[in-house]
Amino acid sequence: MDDDDNNDAGEWLSEKTRFKMAQVEEKTVSSKEILSVIDSLKKQVAADRSLSVKKRLEENSKKLGGITNHLYTLSNERRSSWIGDTDSASDLLTKRQKDALGMQNGIDLSNGDDDGYSYQEPSTAVLMGSSIPVKNAVRPIKLTEVKKLPPYTTWIFLDRNQRMTEDQSVVGRRRIYYDQNGGEALICSDSEEEVIEEDEEKKEFFESEDFILRMTIKEACLSDPVLESLAQCLSRSPAEVKARYETLMKEKDVEASKNRDIEAQNWNSFLEKDLEAALDSFDNLFCRRCLVFDCRLHGCSQDLIFPADKQNPWNHPDEENAPCGPHCYRLVLKSERNDTVRSPMNPEDKSNSSSDGVGAQISSKKSARRKAKSSQSESASSNTRNLSESSDSEIRPGHEESSPTPQLSPSKNKIAGKSGILKRNSKRVAERVLICMCKRQKKMTASESDSLASGCVSPTDMKLRSNPRKQSEDATSSSHKDVKSSNTGRYRKKDWTLKGVQGEVPPNETVNDLALTSSNDFSIREEFVDENLGKQELSDDNSWKAIEKGLFEKGVEIFGRNSCLIARNLLNGLKTCWEVFQYMTGADNKLAYHAASGVLSLLEGCSKYDLNGAMGSNEVRRRSRFLRRRGRVRRLKYTWKSTAYHSIRKRITERKDQPCRQYNPCSCQTACGKQCSCLLNGTCCEKYCGCPKSCKNRFRGCHCAKSQCRSRQCPCFAADRECDPDVCRNCWVSCGDGTASLGVPPQRGDNYECRNMKLLLKQQQRVLLGRSEVSGWGAFLKNNVGKHEYLGEYTGELISHREADKRGKIYDRENSSFLFNLNDQFVLDAYRKGDKLKFANHSPEPNCYAKVIMVAGDHRVGIFAKERINAGEELFYDYRYEPDRAPAWARKPEASGSKKEDGAPWSGRAKKLA
Amino acid sequence: MAKTPIGLEPVVGSLTSTKKREYRVTNRLQEGKRPLYAVIFNFIDSRYFNVFATVGGNRVTVYQCLEGGVIAVLQSYVDEDKDESFYTVSWVCNVDGTPFLVAGGINGVIRVIDASNEKIHKSFVGHGDSINEIRTQPLKPSLIVSASKDESVRLWNVHTGICILIFAGAGGHRNEVLSVDFHPSDIYRIASCGMDNTVKIWSMKEFWTYVEKSFTWTDLPSKFPTKYVQFPVFLASVHSNYVDCNRWLGDFILSKSVDNEIVLWEPKMKEQSPGEGTVDILQKYPVPECDIWFIKFSCDFHYNSAAIGNREGKIFVWELQSSPPVLIARLSHAQSKSPIRQTAMSFDGSTILCCCEDGTIWRWDAVPAN
Repeated sequence: MDDDDNNDAGEWLSEKTRFKMAQVEEKTVSSKEILSVIDSLKKQVAADRSLSVKKRLEENSKKLGGITNHLYTLSNERRSSWIGDTDSASDLLTKRQKDALGMQNGIDLSNGDDDGYSYQEPSTAVLMGSSIPVKNAVRPIKLTEVKKLPPYTTWIFLDRNQRMTEDQSVVGRRRIYYDQNGGEALICSDSEEEVIEEDEEKKEFFESEDFILRMTIKEACLSDPVLESLAQCLSRSPAEVKARYETLMKEKDVEASKNRDIEAQNWNSFLEKDLEAALDSFDNLFCRRCLVFDCRLHGCSQDLIFPADKQNPWNHPDEENAPCGPHCYRLVLKSERNDTVRSPMNPEDKSNSSSDGVGAQISSKKSARRKAKSSQSESASSNTRNLSESSDSEIRPGHEESSPTPQLSPSKNKIAGKSGILKRNSKRVAERVLICMCKRQKKMTASESDSLASGCVSPTDMKLRSNPRKQSEDATSSSHKDVKSSNTGRYRKKDWTLKGVQGEVPPNETVNDLALTSSNDFSIREEFVDENLGKQELSDDNSWKAIEKGLFEKGVEIFGRNSCLIARNLLNGLKTCWEVFQYMTGADNKLAYHAASGVLSLLEGCSKYDLNGAMGSNEVRRRSRFLRRRGRVRRLKYTWKSTAYHSIRKRITERKDQPCRQYNPCSCQTACGKQCSCLLNGTCCEKYCGCPKSCKNRFRGCHCAKSQCRSRQCPCFAADRECDPDVCRNCWVSCGDGTASLGVPPQRGDNYECRNMKLLLKQQQRVLLGRSEVSGWGAFLKNNVGKHEYLGEYTGELISHREADKRGKIYDRENSSFLFNLNDQFVLDAYRKGDKLKFANHSPEPNCYAKVIMVAGDHRVGIFAKERINAGEELFYDYRYEPDRAPAWARKPEASGSKKEDGAPWSGRAKKLA
Repeated sequence: MAKTPIGLEPVVGSLTSTKKREYRVTNRLQEGKRPLYAVIFNFIDSRYFNVFATVGGNRVTVYQCLEGGVIAVLQSYVDEDKDESFYTVSWVCNVDGTPFLVAGGINGVIRVIDASNEKIHKSFVGHGDSINEIRTQPLKPSLIVSASKDESVRLWNVHTGICILIFAGAGGHRNEVLSVDFHPSDIYRIASCGMDNTVKIWSMKEFWTYVEKSFTWTDLPSKFPTKYVQFPVFLASVHSNYVDCNRWLGDFILSKSVDNEIVLWEPKMKEQSPGEGTVDILQKYPVPECDIWFIKFSCDFHYNSAAIGNREGKIFVWELQSSPPVLIARLSHAQSKSPIRQTAMSFDGSTILCCCEDGTIWRWDAVPAN
């Protein structure tokens, strides 16, 4: 900056300008000051740094001194132990040493006469700047030749393909080659496609930088020029510097308060998570296709796809009456029954079975709704009654809004399911309470399902909505009446809840109440809820942690309303069966409460207020979380860049433009339409897709009865697919010796064995690795095999075509490539990971052939015998290089079979300029 | 490479020689015509502190340094395969105390020579390509590690001839491994570096039972359950080109690339996440004209000083553990013009040997101070 000059020349300038200049000057001066402040701080930092390095070196040196002294002692011990153990004369090295010493003394006398010893075939020679090459001075000892191995790069055995991890990518990385002949290293930036994408990583601020930052601002105040010069000094942007300063200031404040908080935070973090958070790792790490954690083939953070066909809740076949343990709700209920009711109908059984049934219904209802990814709060609503239904209809508009593709068909399902439940409920009511009420309930049910239907079809239509509201009002009043008719029940119920609040439920006392509660609660609920639910909720929240609630909800989904199974399988050690049962009924109450308040609020005309509103926001939060998780999915960036260069690759067929398509499961929840990703991609839907089994795009498998799926008559075989026991009707997998097979229905027991599942079952031949008769390594067969027999799989790393292009260039330099085109998305690379079949050599007249086969949604390469092969024979197959890309040796027919040409002998490590 | 942030700059040594110690050429031998790639003193057994070995071509030669600059040839071994070209040699002590020599080269076969009986003890076949460096575990001197072009580092038991561990795989080197070194005190730890520009620190702690098992193995060596160590505990990107030599200096690491300097740095590992960590570059020891690969440095027994040759036949002797680093001496001779592949410092650093591309061995002796 030359502001001074400007000032001199600026005399004729107007006042205004001069003023401006003065300002600039001032600024310059102050920025000089700033710079000097920064400079001095920098010097201080540098001095501190060299001091700290010095200190650390000194510490290290002290430590190292001890270590080397120890090593010295060890080396001395070796000397003494040797002398103690053996006759030192037998040690030729020591003998030569002594000889040399003696000879040196001789030389000293003879004044270093070279000829003196060179003629006597010395075993030791003493040399002093002699011109004779040393190698002629003593008689060399020959080391017998050992045959070296054919060259290979250390590789890891894979029994199944693995997807490349990002850190293995060579794309965007500079690679230095050295010319094997010249031995000179050259940095190769291969071509224009290699644009190094340097991530603008946000550099962290180091302690010293923080120090400079803080001190400078402390001395020179916070202003733009200060920030600018700081930014320059730290080679960052001023905004960055400012932001850092602010965080630093904040940290300072936080630091003080932090110390206090730390102690308070000392609780069990696991139990504090809610289920979704706890399941996060499950969702991200568990592979739904391979049923293992941390699947190397399909990777982490897969898209979560929920099948539209939900299984029915699991039902234990022989668990009817047996209580699950000392805390089983059955025991509790039984003892109470024995005391009071003595019902001839054995009501608990009935209630059990009915509740199970309801559970089933519920989950089917839920599965339909699952698409909207809501359900959490509702899933607890297994015992939904009339009123809760009305609350449902209130919530629904929210669902519809949040679901990306509103569909009408599932809502029909919902209605069906619900009315079913309602009927069940009413049945149960009839059995257990007053008969007169039953009629009313039924009536109500009918009206409710009506209202529900209307609510579903046009949720925003206010006119239609007013109708159900009235009806639910009726319902409310009717249940009010019921409640009044059973006064005792109501009061007892109150007692119970109060006890519940206290957290102590002595069984003997409460059993009575509970019995009535369970039978009558639907009728008292309304009243009771209004008065007590606030409290009850409180108690629930205290004793049931978020994760326990989540587990309970999942449990209902899996087992239905079976508290025994839920408690045993999911809440073992956390909650007893009895507690689960209580919570289950409590959850019903809560739902009813929601319903009631919803109704009330609607009647008051403030629809956006109250619990429903709260639930709506809840919904949004959950969804956004879900979206976030999906957003984290690492999709393989696949951009096809037409590169002039194509590396040498093995291929299956000579057809040029018909690669298989990579399958990715679609997440359709209904029969796949035009939007289906599978259809768009041109693949069939598989069992991993979300769509129902009836989807037209699904591959149906085969129905082969006799052919053993070994010919093209089998649709699976014809489509280059392996049979799938989950899909094909007659193809199944037996366990052990085949006598006891797993899950085989009796009608299949006619000894039919599918021969088209060899990759899946790893029914491969033993392959041996050995020196090839042709060149380098070769793969050999241990046993005889027949024609078309499956030999094994060609496994490797799954890499993108782009990656393969880049790697191919490296491999082609070494004239050894293990790339194998798999499908439109992936190339197999067996260079560092693979199996022995990667060493099978190329031949134009091979005895094997390779075939890409779809196995459970994945493309895999199987190697099959082209003819009968005897034990010990070397395996060859045609790599089917594209004609213009075949390596030289593969083009010439006489040089066939050699995959790796012996590279020109390495002429040594001459100048390796880099 | 990212710019070093303020406050973490390394301390760079000055190339002005302090002439703390003066060295003079006392001997020069022409071993043969083929380049010599390695020279090393025996630090394992104090009887042989003045014995050193060189390799070049298909030849392994054992010498002794005598008074007055005299070098005596003690033994010479020749591989019958004329195409063999040894790149590295190391002294080993068998469990019974016998002095062994271990050499490896382009053939990828490790030759274990029994120096006390002057015959081959064993040959280890297994590496898929040439061997670039072999080092001996100083605490258990019958264990060796070998670094190879086949991208692996292997741990061998010389006594039983077993390949115990293979350091390669998912987290392994992605190009030739050029150098490897045992930690001086942490018996589980090794550092390796190579053409993928990285330095990797490996731990065999979890595999130590296999190491112990290898000493008592009586079955065929090929039957031994050799294990793969696929992931290093630390990965450092200190250099941006081939890293051709690394040595532990206590818990620090000295490494060099083709950037005319040796770098001393501290690996700072993160306890929670193995494989990750930061590098703190502490010091740099400039070495002019040292921009070709496969030039290795050597230290004296107590790691006080290191000597390294360069492309033009000069030697730089650095005091390692002072801060800032001190250049003890710069050695040059009118006739020494050939690239120096490796140096060897004697036990106390008073003798420096260097082996050159042109097949010569030079001996430099410190001039007694008075």
